[in-house]
Amino acid sequence: MRLPRFVLPLLALAGLLLFGQGAYIHAKALVAQVLLEHAFEKAIATGRETKPWSWADTWPVARIEVKRIHASAIVLAGSSGQALAFGPGHVERTPNAGERGVAVYSAHRDTHFAFLKNIVVGDEIEVTRSDGKHFRYRVDAASVVHFDASGIDPFADGHHLVLSTCWPFDALTQGPERYLVHATMIVSVPDLH
Amino acid sequence: MTTCDEIEADKRSEQPGLIRLVLFFVMQGVAVILVGFAALFLSFEPVWSAERLSANYLKPGDARSGSLLIKNEEGYADASRLGIDVDLTVSGPTVRARVTQIFRNPTQDWVEAVYVYPFPSGGAVDTLKMVIGDRVVVGDIKERQQAKIIYEQAKQNGQKAALTEQERPNIFTNSVANIGPGETVLVQIEYQEPVQQSGNEFSLRVPMVVAPRYNPAPVVQSVEFRPDGGGWGAVKSDPVPDRDRISPEVLDPASNAPVNPTRITVRLQAGFPLGEVKSLHHAIKTEKPDANTSILRLAEGPVPADRDFELTWKPAAEKTPSVGLFRERVGDSDYLLAFVTPPAVEQAQQKPLPREVIFVIDNSGSMGGVSIIQAKASLIYALGRLQPNDRFNVIRFDHTMEVLFPSAVPADREHIGRATSYVGALQASGGTEMVPAMRAALSDNAGDANYIRQVVFLTDGAIGNEQQLFETISALRGRSRIFMVGIGSAPNTYLMTRAAELGRGTFTHIGSVEQVEERMRGLFAKLENPAVTNLTAKFSDAAADITPVAIPDVYRDEPLVLAAKLDKLAGSVEIKGRIGDRPWVVTLPLANAAEGKGLSKLWARRKIADAEVARTTRQANPEDADKTILALALEHQLVTRLTSLVAVDKTPSRPQGEPLKVSELPINLPAGWDFEKVFGERPRVPAAPAERRAGADEAQVQVAALKRAQPVTTQAPNTVTLPRTATDAELKMIAGVILLTVSLILLVLNRRQRRQMSRR
Repeated sequence: MRLPRFVLPLLALAGLLLFGQGAYIHAKALVAQVLLEHAFEKAIATGRETKPWSWADTWPVARIEVKRIHASAIVLAGSSGQALAFGPGHVERTPNAGERGVAVYSAHRDTHFAFLKNIVVGDEIEVTRSDGKHFRYRVDAASVVHFDASGIDPFADGHHLVLSTCWPFDALTQGPERYLVHATMIVSVPDLH
Repeated sequence: MTTCDEIEADKRSEQPGLIRLVLFFVMQGVAVILVGFAALFLSFEPVWSAERLSANYLKPGDARSGSLLIKNEEGYADASRLGIDVDLTVSGPTVRARVTQIFRNPTQDWVEAVYVYPFPSGGAVDTLKMVIGDRVVVGDIKERQQAKIIYEQAKQNGQKAALTEQERPNIFTNSVANIGPGETVLVQIEYQEPVQQSGNEFSLRVPMVVAPRYNPAPVVQSVEFRPDGGGWGAVKSDPVPDRDRISPEVLDPASNAPVNPTRITVRLQAGFPLGEVKSLHHAIKTEKPDANTSILRLAEGPVPADRDFELTWKPAAEKTPSVGLFRERVGDSDYLLAFVTPPAVEQAQQKPLPREVIFVIDNSGSMGGVSIIQAKASLIYALGRLQPNDRFNVIRFDHTMEVLFPSAVPADREHIGRATSYVGALQASGGTEMVPAMRAALSDNAGDANYIRQVVFLTDGAIGNEQQLFETISALRGRSRIFMVGIGSAPNTYLMTRAAELGRGTFTHIGSVEQVEERMRGLFAKLENPAVTNLTAKFSDAAADITPVAIPDVYRDEPLVLAAKLDKLAGSVEIKGRIGDRPWVVTLPLANAAEGKGLSKLWARRKIADAEVARTTRQANPEDADKTILALALEHQLVTRLTSLVAVDKTPSRPQGEPLKVSELPINLPAGWDFEKVFGERPRVPAAPAERRAGADEAQVQVAALKRAQPVTTQAPNTVTLPRTATDAELKMIAGVILLTVSLILLVLNRRQRRQMSRR
């Protein structure tokens, strides 16, 4: 039995396209973070909202770092699907990091927040806001919740940070469950005076 | 020996094969990176410019720039807050609803509150009460103009006043004048509505929010000359002359906590032992104080008014009552309400005619979010149900329109496949120009009498120019029958029911993705089985004024609903019709009718709807129709297009000289709607919602305090919904690698085969 001549190239092309699309998602996530890093540096230097590229409809609002596992990412305003392709998003209707309540950052489990699986209770998360203010949080819990029953009250007492991503980490398809890393602010010394 | 030779040959060819393999992977890697980066820079643009809608959605701010809106930089945070309490009593075939709206003025000024409010389209609004402190002021029905004058007068005098006006049969406006600083006024509206029945399922729905309507810009203008005008005239005929009256401010759910907390209580006395009772979009809890009554409440306390409340119940018995007969005596007359479900008769002689089905799908911006998913799923289901000898076509519309095939095509595999992938790729954006789409769907060029022509129209009906659509249907319907499928959490039921009535079809509502299959199956039972036609009703003894005058065809599992005003309750009523090719008759003795409530109002409401239809279809001239409507409305105390309810408190409360401000109360966006798709880009920086929330809580507390009921214990859940955070990158890459591997294996096999062949 011989296959028609066109089947092979077609199959290879389809495979190439699919692989390319997948790779594109990762490439986009990587390249965008580089551009965002620049924009963020500029924002801190100038003190103004800076767009990473001229046609972007979002802008960097903070940088999060976990020094122990050498992870860092630039967080964008808003958590629309478009914004999440480029970086973690600051979920709408939650306060900014450093403010009273629960700030929620969300990102894809296979790109920017892949490092969440390595975070353990006690880790320190550092957040630098685009206005240059710096806050430190300590991880005190991790949980798995349903996306519409997160149990997060954005106006709860105290200063909290929640990082959210899809759960389970190694699943291939979308699911309703979310993995949350919960952290509470460590009061910095100048604040006590 | 040959074997040995072959093995050797293989070994020899393995070396270059391996190199080729490595090369192949290297090339692949390079190609992937190239493709990835090319795509990265090429496709940023379309990803970002996700349709900025330039639609004609108007907000009152645009329309009434001269009026006094209490607006500060935080939006409507300080405008009058509102709570709603809905109390429903189902007794047999009717629903009596009491809607209490709480207007509270947290400002330092005297305000007038204006609130646009949805009602069921078959509802007969007959009572308005205003409660100020201990005093109750009961409203009177007046001609609309007159009521407006009375209200304005009271407003000027500083008296408290309330006015209920009908904007559409399912949209009402409440205005409350002279609410003092810090003061609370309670406005209570009551209406009567028939229970809906389909198959063995009974249902009621309480619309909770007016969905933002697409109001087409005036295109065709006509000039009206004044009789005395000497040639000067005014240009008129905006397709939505009252656009500012039906377009309240809508709050962006992303930056505002939901407003208008609503409590719902249903006292269910179905008149038969209850089986399954279900609330489709809200969690409920049930109490049973006695055997015949169930009391249902919202399980989680007040909810934001952003989706319709829908309740269904079924009888416990296997066999559904197929006949219901109810009577009420008001004044000198008896009123009768009859429900008859014709039997499902199998057709003996002939096979049903093949059908020509035209599907129309609304992919405008208002359908964004879950609505378009529901619509697409419904349509794809429908395509799968077509028979091979049927014909079909698909039309999609937003502010543009596209017809898939030049004319209806046979429902074979190929055409269905094309239509399915076409529908699957639809995206929701743009305006809602429904009339051209309806016109295209009704253009029946072939006119082949061997096919039954059916139009299935999927939309949320979020338009303000309903009248234009009705006129199009009544002018062009021909032999086509129109089946409306209402999509989403708050469809325009008035548009749906009236369009289905004019198009002699039915209205099916799909409120969630889970309902798609069940409801579409029901619809197809109606499409595929012959309707009950040529229906007539005759009373043996009594002189009767029957509505609807011409009884519409009844589809599978639907009841025939008949209301009549009788001079005496005697004899029987005989209902005749044809089910497909077989005659059907049923006789109901009137003496067996059970006592019902509010039937006279339902009869009057139905008569008014008849008159409105006759006006639309030009069967009656507008003046005569209006006269009929006015007489019925005044006699039965109903709010209509021509009459309003007005209540005025005799004692003035606003001191002379204090100014009065107008406060238009904002409404929620219906659940599942996408704010940006409807109103375009949202403002850059969302306002801090903390203050907003405090306001909503206050209003809830107010509901509890004013009702003197148990305090509200559960607060509206205030939790963050987390976005989707998984990509299909891995899935795609794995699939890609698998495909590449398969092609590689095939390549190697092919080569080997060829070599073998060439050797031979």
